[in-house]
Amino acid sequence: MRSIRQARLVQSQRIKEVRARLRAAFCQRRHAGVPCPTLSMNFAQALFRQARSGAEGQGAWRGLLRIAERIFFIAKIIALAIIIAALGAPPPILVTLGAQQTVQTKNSKMGIHTRLTDEVDEWKIKKSVEMVRAMGAPWIVEYFPWGYIEATEGQYDWTHADLVVDHARRQGLTVIARLGFVPNWARPKDSVISYLDESRYSYFANFVYAFAEHFRGRIRYLVIWNEPNLNFEVGYRGVDAASYTRLLEAVYARAKQADPSIQILAGALAPTLAPPGSLDAMNDLEYLQKMYDAGARAYFDALAVHAYGWQERADAPPAPTRVNFRRTELLREIMVKNGDAGKRVFITEGGWNDHPRWTKAVSPAQRIEETLSAYEIGRQWEWLDALALWAFRYPFPAQSYLDYFTFVTPEFDAKPIYFEVQKYAR
Amino acid sequence: MPSRFILKCKSMQDKFVIRNSKFVFPVRVGTLPLTVAALIAFVFIAFVLWFPKPPPKPDGTWTRIVEEGVFRVGIDPSFPPFEYEDGNGNVIGFDAALAVEIARQWSVENEKPLRVEFVYSGYDGLYDALKAAQFDAILSALPYDPRKTEDVRFSFSYFNGGPLIVARADDDKTKTYFDLAKRRVGVELGSSGDAFARRWQRRLQYDLRFYHSPAEALRALTRGQVDGVFTDFIAQSDFARREGGVKIVSQPLADELLVIAVRKDSPTLLAQINAVIAAMKKDGRMEKLMGEWLSQ
Repeated sequence: MRSIRQARLVQSQRIKEVRARLRAAFCQRRHAGVPCPTLSMNFAQALFRQARSGAEGQGAWRGLLRIAERIFFIAKIIALAIIIAALGAPPPILVTLGAQQTVQTKNSKMGIHTRLTDEVDEWKIKKSVEMVRAMGAPWIVEYFPWGYIEATEGQYDWTHADLVVDHARRQGLTVIARLGFVPNWARPKDSVISYLDESRYSYFANFVYAFAEHFRGRIRYLVIWNEPNLNFEVGYRGVDAASYTRLLEAVYARAKQADPSIQILAGALAPTLAPPGSLDAMNDLEYLQKMYDAGARAYFDALAVHAYGWQERADAPPAPTRVNFRRTELLREIMVKNGDAGKRVFITEGGWNDHPRWTKAVSPAQRIEETLSAYEIGRQWEWLDALALWAFRYPFPAQSYLDYFTFVTPEFDAKPIYFEVQKYAR
Repeated sequence: MPSRFILKCKSMQDKFVIRNSKFVFPVRVGTLPLTVAALIAFVFIAFVLWFPKPPPKPDGTWTRIVEEGVFRVGIDPSFPPFEYEDGNGNVIGFDAALAVEIARQWSVENEKPLRVEFVYSGYDGLYDALKAAQFDAILSALPYDPRKTEDVRFSFSYFNGGPLIVARADDDKTKTYFDLAKRRVGVELGSSGDAFARRWQRRLQYDLRFYHSPAEALRALTRGQVDGVFTDFIAQSDFARREGGVKIVSQPLADELLVIAVRKDSPTLLAQINAVIAAMKKDGRMEKLMGEWLSQ
């Protein structure tokens, strides 16, 4: 044991000698009494040591210098960590609004329903509206869920909505905002997102007020609710045109208070041939008439229409017993009959589907032909302001026939229909 | 016992230094880190090598199929020529025949009769019905969907419905789409062949011509109005049988793979399905089945 201890002492001494030689080998300034920087010693440390040796015998100064040296050492480590973290972190993606664009189109009524509600990345929002503009459609319809914006009562988060609206406007697009989706706090527990009790209509009206006020000058058209003639779209409360009219009444005045120029679009009814008495839905023609009967005329500025063609041609004549694109004309007739000939119509959904197996789908070629034909028919309807078809792109696949309504894949691959519509618009 | 490892112990001076021609660097080698690292490595290797993996959970679906002798297949018989009804309530078509062939091979291997029971389901509800164990597998012209692999297991592909190059029967020059550069190409407007053709048009600069249906495009091909058509196997086969004068000259230009889906807890069933598909492709039964149903 003793020999080992001795050996350690010798080793320790030897190592000290080696270090001293090494230091001397690297030291270019061999001044007497000045510590020489070693391999691991930087200039600042050498300065500290020099100062410390100068303060030899002055205890307080030497102590302070030691503290300063340690603080400097810690700061150096922190700086190094920050540099490493900065190098490792991915750079932020810079997305700017860009220069103001305008839509080049020969049909100023062309529009499309975007699905940016669940689109997280800003660049995808921008890319979507850029592609809509490049397609030649000046109108978009977008969904702004009340439950997303006012998740907590009275606290509004406009971040995402602002992104969508600002990017769309920068591309020269006019936004039609569709409002719905009841937040948790405004509906009973375990109810569906479309359930809004009449006692809570004022809550929704307050949201519409806040929305209209926030987007004053940026959004001029608001669609109130979606397809209220379907039971599941009213939270299974039962389809009731009079109840929907009361919702319009609650909303209309509040929206006008916030922005007198705002246009309230009512309806957005699902085209359906539901038989009388059905619990699931009410015929859209019947529903619109019941709205008028309930006094809805005073509470909306224009009618939103859903115009799906299913397997019929775009120019197929309308009939109360058929669902096709020109069923829009029947809704228009009801408006005229009820003294609303002066009001405008906006098609906020519609189109054809080319799923290979869905029973209401058509072939891809037919879908393209009918779509172009519909845009052309809409252009000639003098009472129509916009024709927005469903849908531009989904943020992720629906994994069903719904994917075959889109113009662009989730990966932004434009489908042939996109190019054909673009060709038509030029 | 020495408390440190000694490397090349010639003298005490050499124990902790490594010399080279220029500098001398002191090096210390402690025992603790090496010992701990060696122990960790030893334990890890021992765990991996000596402890056997737990036996896989038995595949209840496969066990039931073998015991009951019934293979329940989810199908939406509304998509000829893959699956449709023959008018007497029987499901027929390529997928139906494939299911029967799979069951037949299992019968032979297990030396026990095994039959197929088709369970009808709407196409959009097939995945949910599989999850709810209403049947054992989906065999209904189901396209491969990578996003579904979290929920189900997919078999090997048994058919690729992607667009192919179709040329005139007497055309020996056209082999790939590069051979169609600056020539005339026909497609069905809006089809996957159309989408593919548009992607390559700028590079190959062909004259792209659109038709309302694959048959119209193929007819234009036989009449010499175009030099090639991008369409799928079934459209080509159907046209070749009816009017003739065309042939496939390429592999699919893009994949549209049809697969069979099973639940995640059915690995044995999947392996058995894959084994039959592989065997059918190898011995020519798959091609024969395709000729029988898809070229009618």
